[in-house]
Amino acid sequence: MASKLLLQTLTRRKPTTIIRRFSTAAAVATPPDYEDPSGITMKGVKISGRPLYLDMQATSPVDPRVLDAMLPYYLSRYGNPHSRTHLYGWESENAVETARAQVAALIGASPKEIIFTSGATESNNISVKGVMHFYKDKKRHVITTQTEHKCVLDSCRHLQQEGFEVTYLPVESDGLIDLDRLRKEIRPDTGLVSVMAVNNEIGVVQPMEEIGKICKEFNVPFHTDAAQALGKIKVEVDKWNVSLMSLSGHKIYGPKGIGALYMRRRPRIRVEPQMNGGGQERGIRSGTVPTPLVVGMGAACELAMKEMEYDERRIKSLQDRLLNGIREKIDGVVVNGSMERRYVGNLNLSFAYVEGESLLMGLKEVAVSSGSACTSASLEPSYVLRALGVDEDMAHTSIRFGIGRFTTEEEVDKAVELTVKQVVKLREMSPLYEMVKEGIDIKQIQWAQH
Amino acid sequence: MAASGLAAPTRSEVLQLYRSLLRVARQLCDYNIREYTKRRTMDAFRDNKKLTDPCQLSAAFSDGKAQLEVAKRQAVVYSLYAPKVKSIMDVKPWN
Repeated sequence: MASKLLLQTLTRRKPTTIIRRFSTAAAVATPPDYEDPSGITMKGVKISGRPLYLDMQATSPVDPRVLDAMLPYYLSRYGNPHSRTHLYGWESENAVETARAQVAALIGASPKEIIFTSGATESNNISVKGVMHFYKDKKRHVITTQTEHKCVLDSCRHLQQEGFEVTYLPVESDGLIDLDRLRKEIRPDTGLVSVMAVNNEIGVVQPMEEIGKICKEFNVPFHTDAAQALGKIKVEVDKWNVSLMSLSGHKIYGPKGIGALYMRRRPRIRVEPQMNGGGQERGIRSGTVPTPLVVGMGAACELAMKEMEYDERRIKSLQDRLLNGIREKIDGVVVNGSMERRYVGNLNLSFAYVEGESLLMGLKEVAVSSGSACTSASLEPSYVLRALGVDEDMAHTSIRFGIGRFTTEEEVDKAVELTVKQVVKLREMSPLYEMVKEGIDIKQIQWAQH
Repeated sequence: MAASGLAAPTRSEVLQLYRSLLRVARQLCDYNIREYTKRRTMDAFRDNKKLTDPCQLSAAFSDGKAQLEVAKRQAVVYSLYAPKVKSIMDVKPWN
Protein backbone atom coordinates (compact mmCIF):
# COMPACT_ATOMS: atom_id res chain seq x y z
CA MET A 1 0.00 0.00 0.00
CA ALA A 2 2.75 2.43 0.93
CA SER A 3 4.85 1.55 -2.10
CA LYS A 4 1.82 1.97 -4.37
CA LEU A 5 1.25 5.47 -2.99
CA LEU A 6 4.93 6.31 -3.42
CA LEU A 7 4.84 5.07 -7.03
CA GLN A 8 1.81 7.21 -7.74
CA THR A 9 3.43 10.28 -6.25
CA LEU A 10 6.59 9.76 -8.26
CA THR A 11 4.87 9.09 -11.58
CA ARG A 12 2.16 11.71 -10.90
CA ARG A 13 -0.66 9.67 -12.29
CA LYS A 14 -4.22 10.54 -11.42
CA PRO A 15 -4.66 9.03 -7.93
CA THR A 16 -7.15 6.16 -7.89
CA THR A 17 -9.22 5.22 -4.91
CA ILE A 18 -7.38 2.41 -3.16
CA ILE A 19 -9.81 0.30 -1.14
CA ARG A 20 -8.71 -3.14 -0.02
CA ARG A 21 -11.42 -5.72 0.41
CA PHE A 22 -12.52 -6.17 4.04
CA SER A 23 -10.54 -3.14 5.00
CA THR A 24 -11.98 -0.50 7.28
CA ALA A 25 -9.27 2.00 6.35
CA ALA A 26 -10.35 5.26 4.76
CA ALA A 27 -9.96 5.58 1.00
CA VAL A 28 -7.28 7.83 -0.44
CA ALA A 29 -8.64 11.33 -1.01
CA THR A 30 -9.92 12.00 -4.53
CA PRO A 31 -9.46 15.44 -6.03
CA PRO A 32 -12.50 17.76 -6.05
CA ASP A 33 -14.98 17.28 -8.91
CA TYR A 34 -14.73 20.78 -10.32
CA GLU A 35 -11.11 20.41 -11.42
CA ASP A 36 -10.17 18.65 -14.62
CA PRO A 37 -6.92 18.91 -16.56
CA SER A 38 -8.27 21.58 -18.91
CA GLY A 39 -9.37 23.98 -16.22
CA ILE A 40 -11.82 24.72 -13.46
CA THR A 41 -15.58 24.98 -13.87
CA MET A 42 -17.42 26.44 -10.95
CA LYS A 43 -20.68 28.40 -10.72
CA GLY A 44 -20.97 28.45 -14.49
CA VAL A 45 -17.57 30.03 -15.01
CA LYS A 46 -14.70 28.21 -16.73
CA ILE A 47 -11.10 29.34 -16.31
CA SER A 48 -7.93 27.58 -17.34
CA GLY A 49 -6.07 27.89 -14.07
CA ARG A 50 -6.43 28.95 -10.46
CA PRO A 51 -7.05 32.72 -10.28
CA LEU A 52 -4.31 35.03 -9.15
CA TYR A 53 -4.90 36.01 -5.56
CA LEU A 54 -5.23 39.71 -4.76
CA ASP A 55 -7.46 39.53 -1.68
CA MET A 56 -4.92 39.60 1.15
CA GLN A 57 -7.27 41.45 3.51
CA ALA A 58 -9.73 38.57 3.51
CA THR A 59 -7.04 36.05 4.36
CA SER A 60 -3.46 35.29 3.41
CA PRO A 61 -1.75 32.08 2.27
CA VAL A 62 0.16 30.20 4.95
CA ASP A 63 3.89 30.84 4.62
CA PRO A 64 5.80 27.56 4.06
CA ARG A 65 8.09 28.38 6.98
CA VAL A 66 5.04 28.63 9.25
CA LEU A 67 3.69 25.31 7.98
CA ASP A 68 7.08 23.76 8.62
CA ALA A 69 6.94 24.89 12.24
CA MET A 70 3.37 23.61 12.70
CA LEU A 71 3.59 20.11 11.19
CA PRO A 72 5.57 18.36 13.98
CA TYR A 73 2.77 19.31 16.38
CA TYR A 74 0.24 17.49 14.22
CA LEU A 75 2.42 14.45 13.60
CA SER A 76 4.32 13.33 16.67
CA ARG A 77 4.17 16.10 19.29
CA TYR A 78 0.43 16.01 19.72
CA GLY A 79 0.20 16.50 23.48
CA ASN A 80 -2.20 18.75 25.33
CA PRO A 81 -0.23 21.69 26.76
CA HIS A 82 -2.20 21.47 30.01
CA SER A 83 -1.14 17.87 30.72
CA ARG A 84 1.36 18.22 33.50
CA THR A 85 2.46 14.64 33.96
CA HIS A 86 4.28 13.54 30.81
CA LEU A 87 6.66 14.60 28.05
CA TYR A 88 3.88 15.23 25.51
CA GLY A 89 2.35 17.87 27.77
CA TRP A 90 5.69 19.45 28.70
CA GLU A 91 6.94 19.84 25.14
CA SER A 92 3.55 21.18 24.05
CA GLU A 93 3.58 23.71 26.87
CA ASN A 94 7.10 24.79 25.93
CA ALA A 95 5.99 25.37 22.36
CA VAL A 96 3.01 27.46 23.51
CA GLU A 97 5.18 29.60 25.76
CA THR A 98 7.76 30.14 22.99
CA ALA A 99 4.99 31.22 20.65
CA ARG A 100 3.59 33.55 23.30
CA ALA A 101 6.97 35.24 23.60
CA GLN A 102 7.21 35.57 19.81
CA VAL A 103 3.80 37.27 19.59
CA ALA A 104 4.65 39.56 22.51
CA ALA A 105 7.96 40.58 20.95
CA LEU A 106 6.22 41.76 17.79
CA ILE A 107 3.96 44.19 19.66
CA GLY A 108 6.40 45.28 22.36
CA ALA A 109 4.59 43.58 25.23
CA SER A 110 5.46 41.01 27.87
CA PRO A 111 4.46 37.35 27.28
CA LYS A 112 2.32 37.41 30.43
CA GLU A 113 -0.01 39.89 28.73
CA ILE A 114 -0.94 37.66 25.76
CA ILE A 115 -4.02 35.43 25.79
CA PHE A 116 -4.64 33.06 22.88
CA THR A 117 -8.17 33.00 21.47
CA SER A 118 -9.84 31.55 18.40
CA GLY A 119 -9.43 34.72 16.36
CA ALA A 120 -9.74 38.47 16.33
CA THR A 121 -13.55 38.23 16.43
CA GLU A 122 -13.42 36.39 19.75
CA SER A 123 -10.80 38.82 21.07
CA ASN A 124 -13.03 41.75 20.10
CA ASN A 125 -15.99 40.16 21.84
CA ILE A 126 -14.00 39.57 25.02
CA SER A 127 -12.68 43.14 24.97
CA VAL A 128 -15.90 45.01 24.31
CA LYS A 129 -18.43 42.90 26.19
CA GLY A 130 -16.02 41.64 28.84
CA VAL A 131 -14.74 45.08 29.89
CA MET A 132 -18.17 46.67 30.01
CA HIS A 133 -19.73 43.81 31.95
CA PHE A 134 -16.89 43.93 34.47
CA TYR A 135 -17.19 47.67 35.10
CA LYS A 136 -20.96 47.84 34.60
CA ASP A 137 -21.67 49.55 37.92
CA LYS A 138 -19.60 52.64 37.25
CA LYS A 139 -19.16 52.80 33.46
CA ARG A 140 -22.11 52.82 31.07
CA HIS A 141 -20.75 54.43 27.89
CA VAL A 142 -18.71 53.12 24.95
CA ILE A 143 -17.18 55.13 22.12
CA THR A 144 -16.40 53.50 18.80
CA THR A 145 -16.31 54.51 15.12
CA GLN A 146 -18.69 53.90 12.23
CA THR A 147 -16.03 52.07 10.22
CA GLU A 148 -15.24 49.34 12.73
CA HIS A 149 -15.34 45.65 11.94
CA LYS A 150 -18.77 44.00 12.11
CA CYS A 151 -17.88 42.04 15.28
CA VAL A 152 -17.17 45.22 17.25
CA LEU A 153 -20.32 46.94 15.95
CA ASP A 154 -22.42 43.89 16.72
CA SER A 155 -20.99 43.61 20.24
CA CYS A 156 -21.81 47.29 20.79
CA ARG A 157 -25.36 46.72 19.53
CA HIS A 158 -25.66 43.83 22.00
CA LEU A 159 -24.50 46.17 24.78
CA GLN A 160 -27.05 48.75 23.69
CA GLN A 161 -29.80 46.15 24.06
CA GLU A 162 -28.57 45.53 27.59
CA GLY A 163 -28.89 49.22 28.43
CA PHE A 164 -25.43 50.66 27.83
CA GLU A 165 -24.97 53.78 25.70
CA VAL A 166 -22.80 53.70 22.60
CA THR A 167 -21.47 56.63 20.56
CA TYR A 168 -20.52 55.85 16.97
CA LEU A 169 -18.01 58.49 15.88
CA PRO A 170 -18.36 59.58 12.26
CA VAL A 171 -15.33 59.66 9.98
CA GLU A 172 -14.18 62.32 7.56
CA SER A 173 -14.21 61.66 3.83
CA ASP A 174 -10.64 60.36 4.01
CA GLY A 175 -11.56 57.74 6.63
CA LEU A 176 -9.87 59.30 9.67
CA ILE A 177 -11.74 60.24 12.82
CA ASP A 178 -11.88 63.77 14.17
CA LEU A 179 -9.83 63.92 17.38
CA ASP A 180 -11.63 66.97 18.79
CA ARG A 181 -14.94 65.19 18.33
CA LEU A 182 -13.56 62.21 20.25
CA ARG A 183 -12.35 64.48 23.03
CA LYS A 184 -15.79 66.07 23.30
CA GLU A 185 -17.62 62.73 23.40
CA ILE A 186 -15.63 61.31 26.35
CA ARG A 187 -17.75 61.42 29.50
CA PRO A 188 -16.94 60.56 33.12
CA ASP A 189 -18.77 57.26 32.71
CA THR A 190 -17.01 56.21 29.47
CA GLY A 191 -15.76 52.68 29.95
CA LEU A 192 -14.04 51.96 26.61
CA VAL A 193 -12.82 53.62 23.43
CA SER A 194 -12.50 51.19 20.53
CA VAL A 195 -10.83 52.29 17.28
CA MET A 196 -9.33 49.88 14.76
CA ALA A 197 -5.75 50.53 13.75
CA VAL A 198 -5.92 49.65 10.04
CA ASN A 199 -9.30 49.40 8.36
CA ASN A 200 -9.84 46.15 6.50
CA GLU A 201 -11.86 47.70 3.66
CA ILE A 202 -10.11 50.95 2.84
CA GLY A 203 -6.71 50.42 4.46
CA VAL A 204 -6.67 53.72 6.35
CA VAL A 205 -4.37 53.95 9.39
CA GLN A 206 -5.96 55.87 12.27
CA PRO A 207 -3.83 58.30 14.38
CA MET A 208 -3.26 55.76 17.15
CA GLU A 209 -0.72 57.73 19.20
CA GLU A 210 -2.94 60.81 19.41
CA ILE A 211 -5.99 58.74 20.39
CA GLY A 212 -3.86 56.97 23.00
CA LYS A 213 -2.80 60.32 24.44
CA ILE A 214 -6.40 61.50 24.71
CA CYS A 215 -7.43 58.26 26.41
CA LYS A 216 -4.54 58.51 28.87
CA GLU A 217 -5.54 62.08 29.67
CA PHE A 218 -9.07 61.07 30.56
CA ASN A 219 -7.99 57.68 31.98
CA VAL A 220 -10.26 55.66 29.65
CA PRO A 221 -9.25 52.15 28.53
CA PHE A 222 -8.30 52.07 24.85
CA HIS A 223 -9.05 48.97 22.78
CA THR A 224 -7.88 48.52 19.22
CA ASP A 225 -8.55 45.84 16.63
CA ALA A 226 -5.06 45.37 15.17
CA ALA A 227 -5.86 42.30 13.06
CA GLN A 228 -4.91 44.03 9.81
CA ALA A 229 -2.11 46.08 11.37
CA LEU A 230 -0.05 43.31 12.98
CA GLY A 231 3.17 42.63 11.17
CA LYS A 232 2.42 45.30 8.58
CA ILE A 233 2.93 48.59 10.42
CA LYS A 234 4.94 49.13 13.59
CA VAL A 235 2.69 48.22 16.54
CA GLU A 236 3.91 49.35 19.98
CA VAL A 237 1.51 49.01 22.85
CA ASP A 238 3.37 51.51 25.05
CA LYS A 239 3.61 54.22 22.42
CA TRP A 240 -0.03 53.80 21.49
CA ASN A 241 -1.11 53.46 25.14
CA VAL A 242 -3.53 50.62 24.37
CA SER A 243 -5.02 48.56 27.16
CA LEU A 244 -6.48 45.85 24.93
CA MET A 245 -5.52 44.72 21.44
CA SER A 246 -7.04 42.05 19.21
CA LEU A 247 -4.70 40.11 16.93
CA SER A 248 -5.44 37.60 14.22
CA GLY A 249 -3.29 34.78 12.88
CA HIS A 250 -4.52 34.32 9.35
CA LYS A 251 -3.86 37.90 8.22
CA ILE A 252 -0.09 37.56 8.76
CA TYR A 253 0.48 34.37 6.76
CA GLY A 254 -0.41 32.13 9.68
CA PRO A 255 -3.11 29.49 10.16
CA LYS A 256 -6.83 30.21 10.41
CA GLY A 257 -8.64 29.68 13.69
CA ILE A 258 -6.17 31.40 16.01
CA GLY A 259 -5.85 34.88 17.39
CA ALA A 260 -4.60 36.62 20.47
CA LEU A 261 -5.69 39.28 22.90
CA TYR A 262 -3.23 41.66 24.52
CA MET A 263 -4.30 42.79 27.99
CA ARG A 264 -2.24 45.38 29.76
CA ARG A 265 -0.98 44.55 33.25
CA ARG A 266 0.16 47.99 34.38
CA PRO A 267 -2.37 49.52 34.93
CA ARG A 268 -4.31 46.27 35.03
CA ILE A 269 -7.45 46.00 32.92
CA ARG A 270 -9.99 43.42 34.04
CA VAL A 271 -12.52 41.60 31.85
CA GLU A 272 -15.33 39.19 32.50
CA PRO A 273 -14.57 35.92 30.66
CA GLN A 274 -16.93 34.90 27.85
CA MET A 275 -15.80 31.24 27.86
CA ASN A 276 -16.11 29.50 31.21
CA GLY A 277 -14.33 26.26 31.92
CA GLY A 278 -11.08 24.92 33.33
CA GLY A 279 -9.41 28.29 33.86
CA GLN A 280 -6.85 28.04 31.06
CA GLU A 281 -5.22 31.24 29.76
CA ARG A 282 -5.46 32.96 33.16
CA GLY A 283 -9.19 32.23 33.37
CA ILE A 284 -9.89 34.71 30.58
CA ARG A 285 -10.37 32.08 27.87
CA SER A 286 -10.91 28.51 29.01
CA GLY A 287 -10.43 25.64 26.62
CA THR A 288 -7.48 23.60 25.38
CA VAL A 289 -4.94 25.82 23.69
CA PRO A 290 -4.47 24.45 20.12
CA THR A 291 -0.71 23.92 20.08
CA PRO A 292 -0.14 23.62 16.31
CA LEU A 293 -2.14 26.78 15.59
CA VAL A 294 -0.43 28.68 18.36
CA VAL A 295 3.00 27.58 17.14
CA GLY A 296 1.99 28.68 13.66
CA MET A 297 0.94 32.11 14.87
CA GLY A 298 4.19 32.50 16.82
CA ALA A 299 6.28 31.53 13.81
CA ALA A 300 4.27 33.93 11.63
CA CYS A 301 4.88 36.78 14.10
CA GLU A 302 8.59 36.08 14.23
CA LEU A 303 8.77 36.04 10.44
CA ALA A 304 6.77 39.27 10.28
CA MET A 305 9.24 40.97 12.57
CA LYS A 306 12.17 39.92 10.38
CA GLU A 307 10.51 40.62 7.05
CA MET A 308 8.45 43.75 7.81
CA GLU A 309 10.82 46.25 6.25
CA TYR A 310 11.52 44.18 3.14
CA ASP A 311 7.82 43.43 2.62
CA GLU A 312 6.78 47.03 3.06
CA ARG A 313 9.28 48.31 0.51
CA ARG A 314 8.16 45.73 -2.02
CA ILE A 315 4.45 46.13 -1.46
CA LYS A 316 4.75 49.93 -1.73
CA SER A 317 6.36 49.61 -5.17
CA LEU A 318 3.70 47.08 -6.23
CA GLN A 319 0.92 49.39 -5.06
CA ASP A 320 2.38 52.28 -7.09
CA ARG A 321 2.68 49.97 -10.08
CA LEU A 322 -0.97 48.90 -9.76
CA LEU A 323 -2.39 52.38 -9.26
CA ASN A 324 -0.30 54.07 -11.93
CA GLY A 325 -0.92 51.23 -14.35
CA ILE A 326 -4.68 51.61 -13.99
CA ARG A 327 -4.66 55.41 -13.96
CA GLU A 328 -2.57 55.61 -17.14
CA LYS A 329 -5.11 53.70 -19.17
CA ILE A 330 -8.47 54.87 -17.77
CA ASP A 331 -9.85 57.91 -16.04
CA GLY A 332 -12.63 58.20 -13.50
CA VAL A 333 -10.74 56.11 -10.94
CA VAL A 334 -11.19 57.20 -7.31
CA VAL A 335 -9.18 55.87 -4.38
CA ASN A 336 -11.40 55.46 -1.32
CA GLY A 337 -9.71 56.64 1.84
CA SER A 338 -6.71 58.82 2.58
CA MET A 339 -3.68 58.21 0.36
CA GLU A 340 -1.19 59.52 2.94
CA ARG A 341 -2.29 57.62 6.03
CA ARG A 342 -2.75 54.24 4.44
CA TYR A 343 -1.38 50.74 4.68
CA VAL A 344 0.34 50.09 1.37
CA GLY A 345 -1.08 46.63 0.72
CA ASN A 346 -4.72 47.72 0.57
CA LEU A 347 -6.04 49.60 -2.45
CA ASN A 348 -9.78 50.27 -2.65
CA LEU A 349 -10.73 51.77 -6.02
CA SER A 350 -14.06 52.97 -7.37
CA PHE A 351 -14.56 53.09 -11.12
CA ALA A 352 -17.09 55.67 -12.28
CA TYR A 353 -19.91 54.69 -14.67
CA VAL A 354 -19.27 50.97 -14.19
CA GLU A 355 -21.45 48.51 -12.29
CA GLY A 356 -19.59 46.64 -9.56
CA GLU A 357 -21.16 43.18 -9.83
CA SER A 358 -20.61 42.99 -13.58
CA LEU A 359 -17.03 44.16 -13.17
CA LEU A 360 -16.37 41.41 -10.64
CA MET A 361 -18.06 38.80 -12.85
CA GLY A 362 -15.78 39.81 -15.69
CA LEU A 363 -12.64 39.64 -13.56
CA LYS A 364 -12.84 35.90 -13.19
CA GLU A 365 -9.09 35.26 -13.40
CA VAL A 366 -8.37 37.67 -10.56
CA ALA A 367 -9.48 36.96 -7.01
CA VAL A 368 -10.47 40.34 -5.60
CA SER A 369 -13.36 41.44 -3.48
CA SER A 370 -15.72 44.35 -3.34
CA GLY A 371 -16.66 45.33 0.17
CA SER A 372 -15.36 43.07 2.90
CA ALA A 373 -15.80 39.30 2.98
CA CYS A 374 -18.08 39.59 6.00
CA THR A 375 -20.62 41.78 4.23
CA SER A 376 -20.41 40.41 0.71
CA ALA A 377 -23.43 38.14 1.19
CA SER A 378 -25.82 41.09 1.24
CA LEU A 379 -26.48 43.35 -1.73
CA GLU A 380 -26.09 46.56 0.23
CA PRO A 381 -23.07 48.72 -0.50
CA SER A 382 -20.48 48.55 2.22
CA TYR A 383 -21.27 50.52 5.37
CA VAL A 384 -17.67 51.70 5.54
CA LEU A 385 -17.92 53.42 2.18
CA ARG A 386 -21.27 54.87 3.17
CA ALA A 387 -19.66 56.29 6.32
CA LEU A 388 -16.99 57.92 4.15
CA GLY A 389 -19.74 59.74 2.31
CA VAL A 390 -19.16 58.01 -1.02
CA ASP A 391 -22.13 58.21 -3.44
CA GLU A 392 -24.27 55.07 -3.82
CA ASP A 393 -23.23 54.44 -7.41
CA MET A 394 -19.51 54.80 -6.63
CA ALA A 395 -19.86 52.65 -3.51
CA HIS A 396 -21.38 49.86 -5.59
CA THR A 397 -18.46 49.80 -8.00
CA SER A 398 -15.64 49.63 -5.47
CA ILE A 399 -13.02 46.92 -5.77
CA ARG A 400 -10.49 46.12 -3.07
CA PHE A 401 -7.06 44.95 -4.26
CA GLY A 402 -4.98 43.31 -1.55
CA ILE A 403 -1.25 42.99 -2.19
CA GLY A 404 0.92 40.78 0.00
CA ARG A 405 4.29 39.14 0.50
CA PHE A 406 3.79 36.59 -2.25
CA THR A 407 2.39 38.89 -4.96
CA THR A 408 4.62 39.22 -8.02
CA GLU A 409 5.07 42.04 -10.51
CA GLU A 410 3.66 39.87 -13.30
CA GLU A 411 0.48 39.28 -11.28
CA VAL A 412 0.05 43.01 -10.74
CA ASP A 413 0.57 43.71 -14.45
CA LYS A 414 -1.92 40.98 -15.36
CA ALA A 415 -4.47 42.38 -12.90
CA VAL A 416 -4.04 45.88 -14.35
CA GLU A 417 -4.50 44.56 -17.89
CA LEU A 418 -7.63 42.58 -17.04
CA THR A 419 -9.22 45.37 -14.98
CA VAL A 420 -8.63 47.99 -17.67
CA LYS A 421 -9.99 45.69 -20.39
CA GLN A 422 -13.12 44.94 -18.38
CA VAL A 423 -13.78 48.55 -17.37
CA VAL A 424 -13.37 49.79 -20.96
CA LYS A 425 -15.70 47.06 -22.24
CA LEU A 426 -18.37 47.89 -19.66
CA ARG A 427 -18.09 51.62 -20.25
CA GLU A 428 -18.51 51.18 -24.00
CA MET A 429 -21.79 49.39 -23.34
CA SER A 430 -22.96 52.02 -20.88
CA PRO A 431 -25.40 54.70 -22.09
CA LEU A 432 -24.57 56.80 -19.01
CA TYR A 433 -20.95 57.01 -20.10
CA GLU A 434 -22.02 58.11 -23.58
CA MET A 435 -23.99 60.96 -22.05
CA VAL A 436 -21.02 61.96 -19.91
CA LYS A 437 -18.74 61.97 -22.94
CA GLU A 438 -21.17 64.29 -24.69
CA GLY A 439 -20.81 66.65 -21.75
CA ILE A 440 -24.15 66.10 -19.98
CA ASP A 441 -23.95 66.31 -16.19
CA ILE A 442 -25.65 63.16 -14.90
CA LYS A 443 -26.62 64.66 -11.56
CA GLN A 444 -28.73 67.34 -13.24
CA ILE A 445 -30.90 64.94 -15.22
CA GLN A 446 -34.57 64.82 -14.27
CA TRP A 447 -35.43 61.17 -14.76
CA ALA A 448 -38.97 60.85 -16.16
CA GLN A 449 -41.13 58.39 -14.29
CA HIS A 450 -42.67 55.59 -16.35
CA MET B 1 30.25 35.93 22.65
CA ALA B 2 33.09 34.95 20.33
CA ALA B 3 32.06 32.63 17.49
CA SER B 4 33.97 29.70 18.93
CA GLY B 5 34.92 27.34 16.12
CA LEU B 6 32.44 28.89 13.68
CA ALA B 7 34.69 30.16 10.93
CA ALA B 8 33.26 32.48 8.34
CA PRO B 9 32.01 30.55 5.27
CA THR B 10 34.23 30.45 2.20
CA ARG B 11 33.14 31.97 -1.09
CA SER B 12 32.48 28.60 -2.67
CA GLU B 13 30.32 27.51 0.29
CA VAL B 14 28.23 30.64 -0.04
CA LEU B 15 27.82 30.11 -3.78
CA GLN B 16 26.88 26.48 -3.23
CA LEU B 17 24.19 27.50 -0.73
CA TYR B 18 22.86 30.10 -3.17
CA ARG B 19 22.66 27.62 -6.02
CA SER B 20 21.01 24.99 -3.80
CA LEU B 21 18.34 27.44 -2.69
CA LEU B 22 17.56 28.43 -6.27
CA ARG B 23 17.48 24.75 -7.31
CA VAL B 24 14.96 23.94 -4.56
CA ALA B 25 12.93 26.98 -5.57
CA ARG B 26 12.64 25.62 -9.12
CA GLN B 27 11.12 22.39 -7.76
CA LEU B 28 8.26 24.14 -5.96
CA CYS B 29 5.00 23.61 -7.75
CA ASP B 30 3.13 26.60 -6.32
CA TYR B 31 3.72 29.68 -8.49
CA ASN B 32 3.66 32.29 -5.70
CA ILE B 33 5.89 30.34 -3.31
CA ARG B 34 8.37 29.56 -6.10
CA GLU B 35 8.69 33.17 -7.17
CA TYR B 36 8.95 34.33 -3.56
CA THR B 37 11.72 31.84 -2.74
CA LYS B 38 13.74 32.86 -5.81
CA ARG B 39 13.28 36.55 -5.17
CA ARG B 40 13.95 36.41 -1.44
CA THR B 41 17.12 34.35 -1.95
CA MET B 42 18.51 36.80 -4.48
CA ASP B 43 17.63 39.85 -2.38
CA ALA B 44 18.93 38.36 0.88
CA PHE B 45 22.27 37.36 -0.63
CA ARG B 46 22.58 40.74 -2.33
CA ASP B 47 21.88 42.59 0.95
CA ASN B 48 24.34 40.47 2.92
CA LYS B 49 27.12 40.87 0.34
CA LYS B 50 28.42 43.87 2.28
CA LEU B 51 28.84 42.01 5.59
CA THR B 52 32.44 41.71 6.78
CA ASP B 53 32.22 40.71 10.47
CA PRO B 54 32.87 36.92 10.62
CA CYS B 55 30.35 36.52 13.49
CA GLN B 56 27.58 38.05 11.39
CA LEU B 57 28.70 36.17 8.29
CA SER B 58 28.53 32.76 9.96
CA ALA B 59 25.18 33.63 11.57
CA ALA B 60 23.75 34.59 8.17
CA PHE B 61 25.23 31.45 6.60
CA SER B 62 23.75 29.09 9.17
CA ASP B 63 20.43 30.92 8.87
CA GLY B 64 20.60 30.33 5.12
CA LYS B 65 21.33 26.63 5.63
CA ALA B 66 18.36 26.28 8.00
CA GLN B 67 16.13 27.95 5.41
CA LEU B 68 17.43 25.51 2.79
CA GLU B 69 16.33 22.57 4.95
CA VAL B 70 12.88 24.13 5.44
CA ALA B 71 12.57 24.75 1.70
CA LYS B 72 13.51 21.16 0.83
CA ARG B 73 10.90 19.74 3.21
CA GLN B 74 8.20 22.13 2.03
CA ALA B 75 8.93 21.35 -1.62
CA VAL B 76 7.99 17.74 -0.88
CA VAL B 77 4.88 18.68 1.14
CA TYR B 78 3.61 21.06 -1.54
CA SER B 79 4.14 18.48 -4.27
CA LEU B 80 2.18 15.86 -2.33
CA TYR B 81 -0.87 18.12 -2.17
CA ALA B 82 -0.46 19.98 -5.45
CA PRO B 83 -3.81 20.88 -7.03
CA LYS B 84 -4.40 19.31 -10.44
CA VAL B 85 -4.95 22.69 -12.03
CA LYS B 86 -2.04 25.06 -11.64
CA SER B 87 -2.14 28.77 -11.01
CA ILE B 88 -3.24 30.71 -14.06
CA MET B 89 0.15 32.40 -14.16
CA ASP B 90 1.73 29.00 -14.89
CA VAL B 91 -0.72 28.18 -17.66
CA LYS B 92 0.43 29.28 -21.11
CA PRO B 93 -0.78 30.80 -23.30
CA TRP B 94 -3.01 33.39 -21.67
CA ASN B 95 -6.29 34.06 -23.48
